[in-house]
Amino acid sequence: MDGGKTRKAKIEVRNLTKRFGDLLVLDQISFDVGEGEFLSIVGPTGCGKTTFLNTLSKLIPSTAGDIFIDGEVADPKKHHLSFVFQEPTCLPWRTVRENVAYGMEVKRVPKAEMEKKLNQIMSLVGLADCADLYPNQISASMLQRIAVARAFAVNPDLLLMDEPYGQLDVKLRYYLEDELVRLWEQLKSTVIFVTHNIEEAVYVSERILILSNKPAKVKAEVKVDLPRPRSLIDPRLVEIRKEVTELIRWW
Amino acid sequence: MVDIANEIQQQVRERKPLTPAAMLKNRWFLYGVSLMFFFVVWDSSARMFASGLPRPHEVVLQLWRMLFDPLAGKSLLGHVWASTQRILIGFTIATLVAVPLGLMMALNRYVNAIVKPLFDLLKPMPPLAWISIAILWFGIGETSKVFIIIIGTFVPCLLDAYNGVRLVEPELYDVVRMLGGNRRDEIVQVCFPAAFPAIFAGLQIALSIAWSCVLAAELVSARSGLGFIIILGMNLSRPAMIVGGMVVIALVSWGMSQLVSVLERFVCPWKREIDSP
Repeated sequence: MDGGKTRKAKIEVRNLTKRFGDLLVLDQISFDVGEGEFLSIVGPTGCGKTTFLNTLSKLIPSTAGDIFIDGEVADPKKHHLSFVFQEPTCLPWRTVRENVAYGMEVKRVPKAEMEKKLNQIMSLVGLADCADLYPNQISASMLQRIAVARAFAVNPDLLLMDEPYGQLDVKLRYYLEDELVRLWEQLKSTVIFVTHNIEEAVYVSERILILSNKPAKVKAEVKVDLPRPRSLIDPRLVEIRKEVTELIRWW
Repeated sequence: MVDIANEIQQQVRERKPLTPAAMLKNRWFLYGVSLMFFFVVWDSSARMFASGLPRPHEVVLQLWRMLFDPLAGKSLLGHVWASTQRILIGFTIATLVAVPLGLMMALNRYVNAIVKPLFDLLKPMPPLAWISIAILWFGIGETSKVFIIIIGTFVPCLLDAYNGVRLVEPELYDVVRMLGGNRRDEIVQVCFPAAFPAIFAGLQIALSIAWSCVLAAELVSARSGLGFIIILGMNLSRPAMIVGGMVVIALVSWGMSQLVSVLERFVCPWKREIDSP
């Protein structure tokens, strides 16, 4: 598990800037993400993390700067981008299985390949038992797992996650974080994971970018060079957690 | 750990022993009490004010007779069908035009800009206000009755289809866009299914309005239909016939709304209700 530097850069973000009128939210953010890397982004509350993700994903246009995937300007129509939102977003009229398949349907993945992938993912995230239930019959944590499974299923060039587990209780969060790491290890996707939970960031990722207060800039970078499976009480992990916490302090 | 992460909603039914206390709290028992009370009050009022109000069993007898003795050439079922047919024709035409128009208004702002002012202008006018002009235009035959039903049912069909699309949660569009879906994916995968429940709610409202419309039209001029039975009962001073007509309207109208509910469950199986204890 080496950091982003030694690997081929899959994603290049260059001078990404976003202003809303006079309000500068993102100030010339630049960084690389290696192929198959798990990168976390943490920052103080209200530093523009969600704006940052929305700009990265092209849901809203940037004021200046751009994001390149394999050297080309990112385009949702051409590249496979996936997004897991803070709120679980499932289509209520599709069963769990159909929801997970949805991304692949939009991407026109051939039927046979889709079925194969679907079976693999459904068993990886433990949704196989409730494949035929509708979203209003399952709990909120499971809705979020559908969104995560759907995002991984399209073999994304870049997978963006916006505090997906922010609203779950601690016990479930640990469980789903392990599941996330398992999915990432098996499917080798490139992930950018935004969170305000430092412990979570250190636990799941290979590298952490720390954003400054608004206007957000990349303030520091911390490598998490720990073997997996990790333990939250591993002294080295605690050490890194303290380091990140020091860097993020704004009070 | 797996268990808590995989909890699903399941229905559990408990069997409770039948005690007098449990019986008093039983839903079905209370339904029975309520209905019994209603019929006792009805019957005793009818006996006190003898002429104006028929007793319940008189209404049943009257309906039974009308099943076999034709009025104006039609048995009771013939009259039921006459009204139902008018509603089916008017309701179908209104639905086929209003629902697609409502969807198009929600999806395309030019269609919206052209249709909305006209619609807003005509919307507050009660459909029954059209009866006289409809009779002048189309005569006292079937056309004027169907016309009134179309006018009445058009509004809720269009409004609910329109609002159904307008009120889709915006996050659902983000899901489609993020995955690289185009406008067609948004419309087919999100707008339409999201609008179905609202459309069905509109159909239910339209159906009850359709019954008011057909009744009013038949009261004004008709040789068949349930409104005709009611007006005939009034002219012949036979309250049992009037109340009988009212009861049959309620039954048929309820039956049709049940049919729409069944259709909705078939089209939107995902909108299952979860029983609350």
